[in-house]
Amino acid sequence: MIKMENITKRYQLGDSNVLILKGIDLEIGSGEYVSIMGMSGSGKSTLMNIIGCLDRPTSGIYHLDGRDLTTLEKDQLAYIRNQKIGFVFQQFNLLPRATALENVMLPMIYAGVPKAERRHRAEVALTQVGLSDRLANRPSQLSGGQQQRVAIARALVNQPTLLLADEPTGALDIRTSEEVMTLFHDLNQQNITIVLITHETAVAAQAQRQVRIQDGLVMH
Amino acid sequence: MALSIDDDASTDYKFSPQKTSHQISKLEVVEMAIEALWSNKLRSGLTMLGVIIGIGSVISLTSIGQGIQKSTEDSIRALGTDVLQVMAGSAESGGISQGQGSITTLTWEDAQAIAAQSPSATVVSAYLQRNTQVVYGENNISTTVYGTDLSHPDARNTFPAQGRFFTQEELDTSASVVVIAPTVQENLFSANVDPLGQKIRIQGEIYDIIGIMESKGAQGPLDRDDAVYIPLTTMSARIIGNNSLMGVSVNGIYVKGQDESQLETVKFQVENILRLRHNIASPEDDDFRITNQADILETLSTVLGLLTTLIVAIAGISLVVGGIGIANIMLVSVVERTREIGIRKALGATDRDVLSQFLTESVIISVIGGGIGIVTGVGITFIAAIAFNFPFVVSNSAVIIGFVLSSATGLVAGVIPARNASKLDPIVALRSD
Repeated sequence: MIKMENITKRYQLGDSNVLILKGIDLEIGSGEYVSIMGMSGSGKSTLMNIIGCLDRPTSGIYHLDGRDLTTLEKDQLAYIRNQKIGFVFQQFNLLPRATALENVMLPMIYAGVPKAERRHRAEVALTQVGLSDRLANRPSQLSGGQQQRVAIARALVNQPTLLLADEPTGALDIRTSEEVMTLFHDLNQQNITIVLITHETAVAAQAQRQVRIQDGLVMH
Repeated sequence: MALSIDDDASTDYKFSPQKTSHQISKLEVVEMAIEALWSNKLRSGLTMLGVIIGIGSVISLTSIGQGIQKSTEDSIRALGTDVLQVMAGSAESGGISQGQGSITTLTWEDAQAIAAQSPSATVVSAYLQRNTQVVYGENNISTTVYGTDLSHPDARNTFPAQGRFFTQEELDTSASVVVIAPTVQENLFSANVDPLGQKIRIQGEIYDIIGIMESKGAQGPLDRDDAVYIPLTTMSARIIGNNSLMGVSVNGIYVKGQDESQLETVKFQVENILRLRHNIASPEDDDFRITNQADILETLSTVLGLLTTLIVAIAGISLVVGGIGIANIMLVSVVERTREIGIRKALGATDRDVLSQFLTESVIISVIGGGIGIVTGVGITFIAAIAFNFPFVVSNSAVIIGFVLSSATGLVAGVIPARNASKLDPIVALRSD
């Protein structure tokens, strides 16, 4: 599913050239539920960006779903993000002026799904996360937990092979965090691969496997 | 291209490397842009307002300018462009310009001589004029009294609508008869009174109203309807007093030729007749001045054309300001919407998708704003035409130029921010708050 070999990432920060990732080797199987843990500054966000095709590694090999992604063009990466990856962010990242339904329909616009089908699939996805009665609500009219569930519905609606969650409970209280974690667990039961990035041990513990990143390297 | 709901990871596994992105339909992009614009009505409205004001002012100012120009030209043309006006007094005397008609060296006899001796002059009419008060019962107005002869209607192309003009007998006998023009009728008589046969007083003398002239249109200070006409002999004897040794002095003489092309010939003949009669050896000593409506029309058209150009230039500035407004709001909008761009990109939007969305938004604003601007401009012109009584003309070129310019401004103002937006790195865009 995910296969990374000796991934490095170098950033130019002012005058200094910083090596954030120093050679990551990582393999995640299909249907796995993996948490990536690390302190702030450990490089886990950079790693997440590379896994999510939001950024490209400086060197190394990254295979997603059997395909080498290191040489792809910008537009090809956009296509992979659209088709293969579902994102769940700490800050939800919903369009504030769009309704829950419109937010969930958004990835399907870029996938070229016909309008009627888009609506149907978005309704199904929102029902799956228990928000069938909140279709017309805007994010500001939803609680944090509900917003995160809209984001999860949006992440799943294009049937990605990988659900990538970056601190998904970071902005939620304990009770709603538990709801979201339960949802992840259920999704994993439906054989969806989940990669969870967090700095909280309790959250990371919910995953089947924990990978610890420190100082740009995977700790074993 | 569309994914069916059955597509799952396993069937999509072997996607070809050539297949890199889905093409979003144009209609989809337009829908998306409209949704985005609709979801922020204030911003969209303000942007559109810039375009509306720009185009509206270009169209209305240009059209109003052209309407006024046309109306002025028409009213001058209505005076007759085949008419020469001979005025008493030299154009310049010792380097000092004299007011036209201020010195009454012209006489009715001069007019009669022109009629008799100039082969090219078809109609000759002399007049005396004075601004004075006209009284009917309790009503008292100030107007221009013209003392003139029987040729006046032909020379000035204005005829009685009711009643009649005075006769040769009335002219010969200095009869106390008057023909009034519509503005005087309006100001002096209530609507239910028929002025014909009524008596009015001019400087204490009583006159019988025998006719009412047709309306020639009121053009601000050029109101030809604000006048009354009495026989020249009556005017000279009772109102002005015969004050010339050479005969009945007049303020001016209208001389009409066969048509406009004859005017130069007529002018030449009139000049020679008058110089002979006034014993003038050199044209520099002329005690009269000949003006030509066609020349006045040409001069005025040039001036008005320049004014219209100036107005359009000012309107053009507002169009530019409108364009800057669009550019500004589009730029701010891109900054404001950086996060949105990041989200869209994370969800699979390509640079091109973002570019076309933002571009479409600015095109829609320009086109809708342009449309409303055209309607507004035409509407303002229409209202102004009714309110200020000039012909309603819509300048087609202003409409086209206004629309093209607004679309162009919208596009240019939209392109740069849209390009910046599309090139944003999704990570950077997502991190922004």
